[in-house]
Formats: sequence, structure tokens, C-alpha cells
Amino acid sequence: MENFDLLMHGFGIAITPMHLMLMVGGVLMGLIVGVLPGLGAPNGVSLLIPLTFALDPTSAIILLSSIYWGALFGGSTTSILFNIPGEPSSVATTFDGYPMARSGQSTRALTLAFMSAGFGALLGVIVITLLAGWASNFALKFGAPEYFAVYFLAFAAFIGMGSAAPMKTLVSLAAGLLLASVGMDSVTGSIRLTFGFEDLLGGISFLVVVIGLFGIGELLSTVQEGLRFRGVASKIDLRDVFRTIAELPRYWATYLRSGAIGIWMGITPGGPTAASFMSYGIARSSSRKGAPFGTGRPEGIVAPETADHSAGSCAMLPMLALGVPSSATAAVMMGGLMIWGLTPGPMLFATQPDFVWGLIASMYVSNLIGVVLVLATVPMFAALLRIPFTIIGPMIVAICFVGAYTVSNATFDLWLVLVFGLVGYLFSRLDYPLAPLVLAMVLGHKAENAFHQSMVLSDGSLGIFFSNPLVSGIMAVGIALLVLPKLVSMGSRLRRRVPVE
Amino acid sequence: MTVKVFHAELGTAIATGLLGLAGVIGATELGHGWTESGPEAGYFPFHVGLILIGASLWNLVAAFLKHRAAGSDPEEPFLDRDKARRLGVFIAALLVFVIVTLTLGIYVGSTLYITWSAWRQGGYRLPLALGTGAGFAVALYLIFEAIFRIPLLKGPIEPLLGIY
Repeated sequence: MENFDLLMHGFGIAITPMHLMLMVGGVLMGLIVGVLPGLGAPNGVSLLIPLTFALDPTSAIILLSSIYWGALFGGSTTSILFNIPGEPSSVATTFDGYPMARSGQSTRALTLAFMSAGFGALLGVIVITLLAGWASNFALKFGAPEYFAVYFLAFAAFIGMGSAAPMKTLVSLAAGLLLASVGMDSVTGSIRLTFGFEDLLGGISFLVVVIGLFGIGELLSTVQEGLRFRGVASKIDLRDVFRTIAELPRYWATYLRSGAIGIWMGITPGGPTAASFMSYGIARSSSRKGAPFGTGRPEGIVAPETADHSAGSCAMLPMLALGVPSSATAAVMMGGLMIWGLTPGPMLFATQPDFVWGLIASMYVSNLIGVVLVLATVPMFAALLRIPFTIIGPMIVAICFVGAYTVSNATFDLWLVLVFGLVGYLFSRLDYPLAPLVLAMVLGHKAENAFHQSMVLSDGSLGIFFSNPLVSGIMAVGIALLVLPKLVSMGSRLRRRVPVE
Repeated sequence: MTVKVFHAELGTAIATGLLGLAGVIGATELGHGWTESGPEAGYFPFHVGLILIGASLWNLVAAFLKHRAAGSDPEEPFLDRDKARRLGVFIAALLVFVIVTLTLGIYVGSTLYITWSAWRQGGYRLPLALGTGAGFAVALYLIFEAIFRIPLLKGPIEPLLGIY
């Protein structure tokens, strides 16, 4: 019951007029960010981090996380109404959401999506509430080798469980690690990889990289496709909303299964995008009767949305308890935490209970606010996409560059945004995943420090990573996540090939 | 000319490989071995660079194999003429925007950029386009400098208007 008391304490912190206002403002901002192409959750959060320096950390994290929830809701809106996923994690929602909306049931499709999203988020937060105390106690046993093992596990999970080709994920990861090591090395104090450029002395800010990769990169993809948004009318009929809510209990099996998938993918670093695809795939293969998927099946909306949001909210747990974010947005938020002077990890629970439990409590409240707000404002936000791209496009560009400049008032960063914009476009066109690059940039220093300290402890023997049951267990799980998924798929491919030959 | 996916894959693999090479070269200058106190500063970047080179080579070979397997089948184009033109115009405008912003500041840069895009690309009348651009710059000023007190990049024009 200890967690319950802490949660009640958290509600006391989260429910103040100021914080409620931040939640409403954050969710609305998130909706804008999620609806507009070029502004996704990771770079929406990056753009706002410089604005949060004026707030105390608890208010700041409530604002940023509310933006995240808003962006997730906004991403589903455009998936359903325009067949344009506002977020990578809402791609799977387009498969059945758009057909249902086109057949004149846009209210039903949107309500299904938002209610499932809200339910998924709720499941995720409940899991966080239950596990938070346990996870932080567990993490207190960690020393440097264990931390390195956890980082290894995070990287391995991306390579093994991601939907992209493993070697492309590895390229993305390694590039992020290299970029993170540019500048002053905190362990040895030497200047690394600047090649004589003074602008690189301070290192490359991951916020600037995120703004380039996700902001400009996504805009370039939009431009290439020719910018014709063919939308479905987006009026919300209140009677349809209630009728849809009444039909929700019918999909209880899909809800529970998708929630479980989301929770698993959120806690292990699979991320919301992989969770939504996996959940959609499993819902499709386990459905027995009814219209085929892809034609507007309700389960085709329920499954990805539930998984997306439960993974999104569960991603906060490893970020807070271990300092290992499992989604790009969580990685950016963790960067924010470090900028505000907080160290994510088990000590955070002990030293900053107000911050941690305020955040967890705010997740209940702001998701509730999110569902209500999004239903009320969807027509308005969908109208944003009717603004011609020739006006909204340059504005998004300008916002991205302004945001990058405010990170450290460096003009050099403007060039970085441009370069990483091109990289982001190229990578997403060629199916190189972007999230591992961001994760590696945020974790690079910590992983290297943990490795360095372990090596000092062990006099340079790699054996320290297998020296006790805890660290070897984590390493073993990491190696299994790295190797098993591909072995399984290779095995099933071989088995399938036999009858043909 | 159309760029094929094959070409883009090759180019990207070579570029990421070169990035890895740069890391390895930079790390060798620092020393990537061991001392009594543990790994030297270049140890981590050196090995990450090697991994990056290895993975890039793998992707390069994979692209070649896929190219050969495709044989004479027409391959998926990476960019056809239309898309390349649209992207080219957009990227050129971006580049000009960055250069103007660096010389004249973000307010003038974004005003000109939005005005140009609405006027030339969107087909709006010039006064309307200019109003949109200027309105956006004013909104930026109000949000960043007036409310949050975060100074943005200014050029030689703002001081003449009494804005510092």
C-alpha cells in the first residue's frame, strides 16, 4: 500500500490550478504538434525544453509529458481523417481507421481510437504505479557493470526487436554513439573528434539533432509526396460518441492483449511504434470472423491505439527508474531531466519523490483531460491540415530553426539542423530507424562512463560483465533479445521453404 | 534522371562508413589503447567507429545483392523527376533561409521565407503573403522575447527599429 500513499501524495502535487493549466496547455500544444506534419512528439518536446527553464522540474515534466500525450492523440486524428500518420506510432491506425472514416463513420473511428488510447494509457500508468517502488529498489542494487549491462540490453533490444534491418539499426546506433562522443570527454577531460572545429568543442546537442531528424526530415518526406491532403469531414456527433462507447466492452479481449503487448514493449525498449504494429498484426491473425482487416474493422483501430499508448506511458518507467528511455520521446524527456539538474535512476525516487509521484499522478489526470479535450477539439485541429502547405510548411521550418537556436544560442546549430534534416529524410526513406540514434546520443556518455568505471574496477577484464548473477542475467537477456528474434524468424522461414522445394 | 533506391542505399552506406572512418581516425589521434587507469579517451569511439564501418559494409553488400537479385526487373525509383524537383526547390529555399537568417537574423529570415513561399509557391497576392510572414515574426517576438525572455538571433535591422 506504500505506492498507493505515494500516489495520493502525487495527486496532491499534480492537482493544483497551475498544473492543471499546464496539462490543458500541454495537451493542446501536443495536439497541434501531433496533427502537423514535421512536428512530432520527439521534436515537439525538444522545441519546448528551452522554454521550461523558467519552471520548476515537476511543472516542467508535467508540461512535457502532457505534450507527449497530446501528440499521441493528435497523431491518431490525422491517421484516421487524412490517412497521414501524424506520428510514426500511428501508422498502423491508418490501416482500418481511414477506411472506417471514409465510409462515413468518422466519429465512430475517432471515438474508438481515443477511448482505446485512453484505456491503453491508463493500463500503462497503473503498471507504472504498481512497479515503481519495486523497480527503484531493484535498481538500487546496480553498480557500474549493471548499468552498462542495462544500456547494452536497451541497444540490443532495438537491434533484435525493431522492425528495421538489424544492420541498419546498428548503423543508426553507432552513429549516435559517435556523435555523442564529440567534444569534451567527461572522464578523461580530453577533447575528442572535433577535427579542429571550434564549434564542435561543446559537443553536438541531441536536441538539435532531434529537431533536424524528426522535424525537417519529416517535412522533406511530406514535400516529396506532393502535399495533397485528402481529408474526411471531421464533425463530431455526440450521440455517435456514446453509441461507440457502449460498443467498447465487446472488444475486451483485444484490449487486454494489446495492452499487454504495449506494456511489454514499453518497458523493454521496443517502443510504441513496434508495439502498435505488433498488436495490429496479432489482432489480425487471431480474429476469426467478420469483415477482413483493412476495411474498417473496429479491432484494427482498437489494437494499435491501445498498444501505442500503453507502450508510450510505460516507457516512462525505465526512464525514471533506470535512466534508460525506451522511446525517442522518452529519451528527449530524459535529456530534459538532466538539463534541469536531475539524475534519472533509482535515487530519483528516494531524493525527488514529489517529482516522480507528481509525474505519475499527472499521467492519470492529463490522459483523462486528453480524451475529453481531443473529442471536443478535433474539428478545430483537423482544420489545421486545411491550411495550405505553402504557408504552414515554412512556418514549421522557422519554428524548428528557432527551437534549435534557443538550445544554446549557437548559429552553428542552424547548419546542424539542415544537415540532420537531410539525414533524417534519407534514413526514413531507406528504413534506417531514427529512434536508436537519439537513444544512443542521450545514453552515449552514460554508457561509456559505466563501461569505463567497470573496466577500472576489473582492471580491464570483460569478465566483470558476467561476475555476479544480476549482471550476467541482464547481459544474458540482452544477448537473447539481440539474437533470438532473428533466429526465430529465420527458423520459420526455413520451415516454410521446405515444402516448396 | 531518376535516382534508384539502389543508388541511395549505396550512397548512404558509404557515407555512414566514412563517418565511422572519421571516428576511427579521430580516436587514433587520441590513443585508443589501455593505460593503468583503464581505457584511453579514444577507446570507445575507436571501437564504435569500427562497428559502424562493419555495419555499413554489410549494408553496402546487402544493397548489391538485392540489386543483383532484382536483375533486369525495373527497380523502385528513389526519386522520380517530379519528386526530385519539388524536393530540390524546397531544399534550396531552406538553404537560402538559413543563409539569410545567419546574416539578417531570424525575424527577417522567417518573414522573407514565409512571404516568398506563400507568394511564389502558394499563389497568394504579395500584400497578403507579406502580412502572413510579418505576422508570424511578430508572434515569434511576442512568444519568445516578450513572454519567455529568450533572445532570438537578430541581424543588423532590428537595432534600427529599437529592438535589442
